[in-house]
Amino acid sequence: MTAWLFRFQSLFGLVLVFLAAVVFSPVRNGELLFLDSGNLFNVVRAMSEIGILAVGMTFVILIGGIDLSVGSVLGLASVGAAVLLVRQDFGVLPAVLAVLAAGLVFGLLQGVVTAKLGIQAFIVTLAGMQIARALARIFSGGQGVEIAYGDAPGRAPTAFSLLGERTFGGLVPVPALIFAVVAGLAAVLLRVTAFSRHVYAIGGNEKAARLSGVPVDRVKILVFGLCGLLAGLAGIVHAGQLNYGGPNDGSMAELDAIAAVVIGGASLSGGRGTVVGTVAGALLVGVLRNILTLNNVDSNVQLLIIGLVIVAAAGLQRLRPAAVG
Amino acid sequence: MPIRKRGALALLLGTALVATVTTGCGTTSENADGKAEPKPCGGAGGKYTIGVSQANVAEPYRERMDADIRQAATAVPQFTVHFADAQQDNSKQVEQVENFITQQVDLLIISPNEASPLTSVVKKAYERGIPVLVLDRKVNGDAYTSFIGADNFDIGRRAGEFVAQTLLPGGGRVAELKGLAGSSPAKERSDGFRLGIGGKAIEVVASADGDWLRDRGRQQADALLKGTPGVQVVYAHNDPMGEGAYLAAQDAGLSGIQIVGIDGLPIEAGGIKAVEAGRLAATFVYPTGGKEAVDSARKILVDCQQVPKVQGLAIERVTKDNAAEVYARLNAGG
Repeated sequence: MTAWLFRFQSLFGLVLVFLAAVVFSPVRNGELLFLDSGNLFNVVRAMSEIGILAVGMTFVILIGGIDLSVGSVLGLASVGAAVLLVRQDFGVLPAVLAVLAAGLVFGLLQGVVTAKLGIQAFIVTLAGMQIARALARIFSGGQGVEIAYGDAPGRAPTAFSLLGERTFGGLVPVPALIFAVVAGLAAVLLRVTAFSRHVYAIGGNEKAARLSGVPVDRVKILVFGLCGLLAGLAGIVHAGQLNYGGPNDGSMAELDAIAAVVIGGASLSGGRGTVVGTVAGALLVGVLRNILTLNNVDSNVQLLIIGLVIVAAAGLQRLRPAAVG
Repeated sequence: MPIRKRGALALLLGTALVATVTTGCGTTSENADGKAEPKPCGGAGGKYTIGVSQANVAEPYRERMDADIRQAATAVPQFTVHFADAQQDNSKQVEQVENFITQQVDLLIISPNEASPLTSVVKKAYERGIPVLVLDRKVNGDAYTSFIGADNFDIGRRAGEFVAQTLLPGGGRVAELKGLAGSSPAKERSDGFRLGIGGKAIEVVASADGDWLRDRGRQQADALLKGTPGVQVVYAHNDPMGEGAYLAAQDAGLSGIQIVGIDGLPIEAGGIKAVEAGRLAATFVYPTGGKEAVDSARKILVDCQQVPKVQGLAIERVTKDNAAEVYARLNAGG
């Protein structure tokens, strides 16, 4: 039971924060503003980009790495999508595929440098963060690229605007659906495949994994590739939600993603963490921020509280019995 | 309808693996979609909540804007003002405006981080019947109540004209310290300046990005002044970068360099004081519009009047001659 509590600490945390939010919700016309379905879906929509980044980050952190480049890659991908759609007259599918491919390649390259040259992931992705930001600014000509929709040249196909829409009775934002699908696929990938056993093995003890025949380099490269791919996807969602590719967008998003993973119960030294935990961690931050904002808590105090939550989550990890998986 | 909503809610939360929290949901309903009639004006007897969505408060200029709003609002007993800080993040600002819509504020004041990403959520608020005052940076289209702000292109032009007419009437060499690359004011203040010096024998011999920051401005100016000899004037897109350039020039022992800044904040650490002290040759007041926004809010909510769609704010040149007077005037009363 204790083991289970620790394993899913962020889920319990989420439930606690959710219940607290219900209790502290402002009331308008006899209804709780927090529980308004529009409000709840807004929370998930707002967290979906960070959530997608955090799912990719979970894999990297599981192998004991870190990826500081995802925020910049998000910005680069949003600019890339906007430029391809608006200035190059790409269709939606080719543009999306090209941006996803770019994210994937960017991640794979960081993986290659990390695995084959043996440079720490922190350093490699720190460089990657600068490079992606530079590319975003160069590619956009130093200006945010606005996405206007329509059939004429210089306009993006209307289909792309679906990313900013809501569906199922005008209620569920499409980015939230994408986040849910990504999280679902990743959770499955991390539970049932041989790949997942390799990931946990590398994070647990890289040397032992190598000796027992795990293709360590290949798995590392794939993990960074996956993280880059998801950062590219987050950038596409970003561009579609905001009708805008911003060369400066996504800065600090890498830190929000890392925070979600840590609150989700993962260990930065690798080998421990789950996608479920990360998703709960991301939603926990989203719900917390929402209820604080609904109560008009000062933004600096909000930062303070979220900082304390990160410390508390990490602290709980220290208390966790070593035997718990 | 509530049943379908609850189903969709459960579906999403379920997929997101937090199905445990759905029990007890669905107690609320949302207003009908589409355009809502503006609420009837409540007049002087009402109580009003105003939401202020600020792009960030890391810059002194924006901090001052919030302070101006806060100060002006204390004079209106009917107003309660809530502030949100988007920390330069477009997504976060969209989320915060959504929150204000959820809270059903009586009026929204927004200073957008960037125009296009905020356009649709501002439109949403406006269409729900919430009056929207857009400050400083615009949104696209016309789904807002009033835009209040000065013109970045114009302030750049004024700075250029000042350099051409007053500082370098016989022509000369200028270095430019730009704001954050990719931000619209940086481009407009740069383009305007070039128009202002147009036709004169003035050359922008070097430029660098100072990211609006004092320390970056100093660092970049340091390299510019060393790498490009003969610079007579530094044009900085804001006063903090101008102050940085002043420090760099001191450091390099270049005493004859004149520095022109922008923003002219009437605070102790602001540009007007720097002009008074002789560190900047001039600055140009880019008004925050905070007081004007509260005046408009009062007209709309309390006096039940219309306000103009566009309220342009006057740009003012500050040199040593008028610095003390401008400073005193801008800090007088609320």
